Amino acid sequence: MRKRFVAALSVLCALAVVGCGSSSSSTSSSGASGATSSSSSGGTATSASANASVVKLVPASIKSKGTLTVASDASYPPDEFIASDGHTVIGMDPDLMKALGAIMGLKVKVVNQTFDSIIPGLAAGKYNVGASSFTDTKEREKTVDFVTYLTAGESFFTKTSGGTTVSGLSDLCGRTVAVEKGTTEETDANTQSGKCTKAGKAKVTVLSFPDQNGANLALSSGRAQLGFADSPVAEYQVKKSNGTFKIVGPSIANAPYGLAVAKDSGLTTPLLSALQVLMKNGQYKAILTPWGIEAGAIANPKINGAIS
Amino acid sequence: MSTSELTDQRTGRPEEIKAVPVRRPGRWIAAFIVLVIAASIIRSVVTNKRFEWHVVGQYLFDSRILHGVLVTLELTVLSMIIGIVLGVILAVMRQSPNPIVSGGSWVYIWFFRGTPLLVQLLFWYNIAALFPSIDLGIPFGPSFIHAHANTLITPLAAALLGLGLNEGAYMAEIVRAGIISVDEGQTEAAQSLGMTRLMTMRLIVLPQAMRVILPPTGNETISMLKNTSLVSVIAYTELLYSAQQIYDVNYQTIPLLIVASIWYLVMTSIAYVGQYFIERRFGRGFTRAQQGSMRARWLSFRGPEKVT
Repeated sequence: MRKRFVAALSVLCALAVVGCGSSSSSTSSSGASGATSSSSSGGTATSASANASVVKLVPASIKSKGTLTVASDASYPPDEFIASDGHTVIGMDPDLMKALGAIMGLKVKVVNQTFDSIIPGLAAGKYNVGASSFTDTKEREKTVDFVTYLTAGESFFTKTSGGTTVSGLSDLCGRTVAVEKGTTEETDANTQSGKCTKAGKAKVTVLSFPDQNGANLALSSGRAQLGFADSPVAEYQVKKSNGTFKIVGPSIANAPYGLAVAKDSGLTTPLLSALQVLMKNGQYKAILTPWGIEAGAIANPKINGAIS
Repeated sequence: MSTSELTDQRTGRPEEIKAVPVRRPGRWIAAFIVLVIAASIIRSVVTNKRFEWHVVGQYLFDSRILHGVLVTLELTVLSMIIGIVLGVILAVMRQSPNPIVSGGSWVYIWFFRGTPLLVQLLFWYNIAALFPSIDLGIPFGPSFIHAHANTLITPLAAALLGLGLNEGAYMAEIVRAGIISVDEGQTEAAQSLGMTRLMTMRLIVLPQAMRVILPPTGNETISMLKNTSLVSVIAYTELLYSAQQIYDVNYQTIPLLIVASIWYLVMTSIAYVGQYFIERRFGRGFTRAQQGSMRARWLSFRGPEKVT
């Protein structure tokens, strides 16, 4: 009896050790998808070297860590998406962040998180920077600070055969539109719905999905008549869809994209200076061009440059 | 001096035995430790400002949250009805001597238990991408109803199909467990009386199987209350989705998740009470140990109670 007990106990201990070992080796950061990525190459960004005057501006706590943790929702090509290896986050935002990190003398780690969890995560100190095609808005500036780096509008897209046409937000009354949760498109569509009902017209049915893929699927299955996303993203979807989707109407509400950082993080000034260095030496345009986003380039990055 | 020699001086009858309850200091110490731990946990949670309890109170009875609670209840009740009915049918089919019938049931259970519920929901919601129109009628013959998939399968229908059909597969195994728990002698006796298989099942086996089926079914219902939160990925407005809609705009993620959790706890607790009464009804005549009232069990703290 005693021998069997000891044997069982040792088996349990062995299992516990194996269990502990495997869980500690899976270094997943928290979040819904939990996919981490090493800072590997993506796009054609040339590696930059540290700029002494910018390195001086980096806060000591981050300089001592040596790494900048960046959160992106990798369901938004070409800005951020998962490479074919299944876990590396690539796109315009990771490329830009790696170049900025190099100038600041820091390594960059890009992690994949759901979009609507990034700003609360920054405020809670889980990441240093949120680089996920955030539109810099006055509402969001109440919770985080932004460094603007691009300008983009919002575009509508629909199915090529049997799709519908719109020429702007006011045409949305009575339509069904699929958006990603937590985006400015979701807010704009809901605001328009209020305006429609006030004017006596039918409301806008806004379907919000956890990621852009869910929204695109709803569009292709006909649950929604229109997709509504940032212009570079909408254009990329249309390009990749091989004719299934098409852009309708002009792009509206051009607004700046900003890199989000927690308030009082001390990162706004070094990020701004690093961005200015990239713009001066031509690397900024070189990062945008392979992804087809050079039309959104700006000349004057700002801290907290929201226009609405 | 033995107690039997003690006599009451006044009446001449033997003195009453001074029976003192067995002192159980261990119980009191254990109870004290548990209470102290509970009190310190409660205190650290209630006085922690980061829970933002005032925001929780603000949104606890918000109309959107209450609407979400109603929708969750509606989804739970309807899916469980579909699941239980389907489960009973499938379990009876499994017991059939006809190999095609029992095999068909096996394939259904294998498929719906073998794929994730999330994926099933996404497929039902986006079914128009696979079957743009649905014809109902005689297989390989004329059809009576012809409809576009999205009009026939509304988002509510997609949610109920996803949840209900999945639940049916799990309930089938629970009902099968109940059926095989009924002694075979019962079936033999019924057959010797000339009852058909279906009569036996309906009048003899299933009523006795209820006692074994009920606790896991209660478990499944409580599980279903939480599983309904998965329909937030098909943009259906139940409790979790409503909470997400609110915190996507005001970034008060944690307080709103607490609001949703409180409501889930309330609904689950009501389910507990219901399950207790249903189990008592179906467990009549089986075990005497469960006959003691709740009051008697709590008051047995001092020592073993008298069997009434």
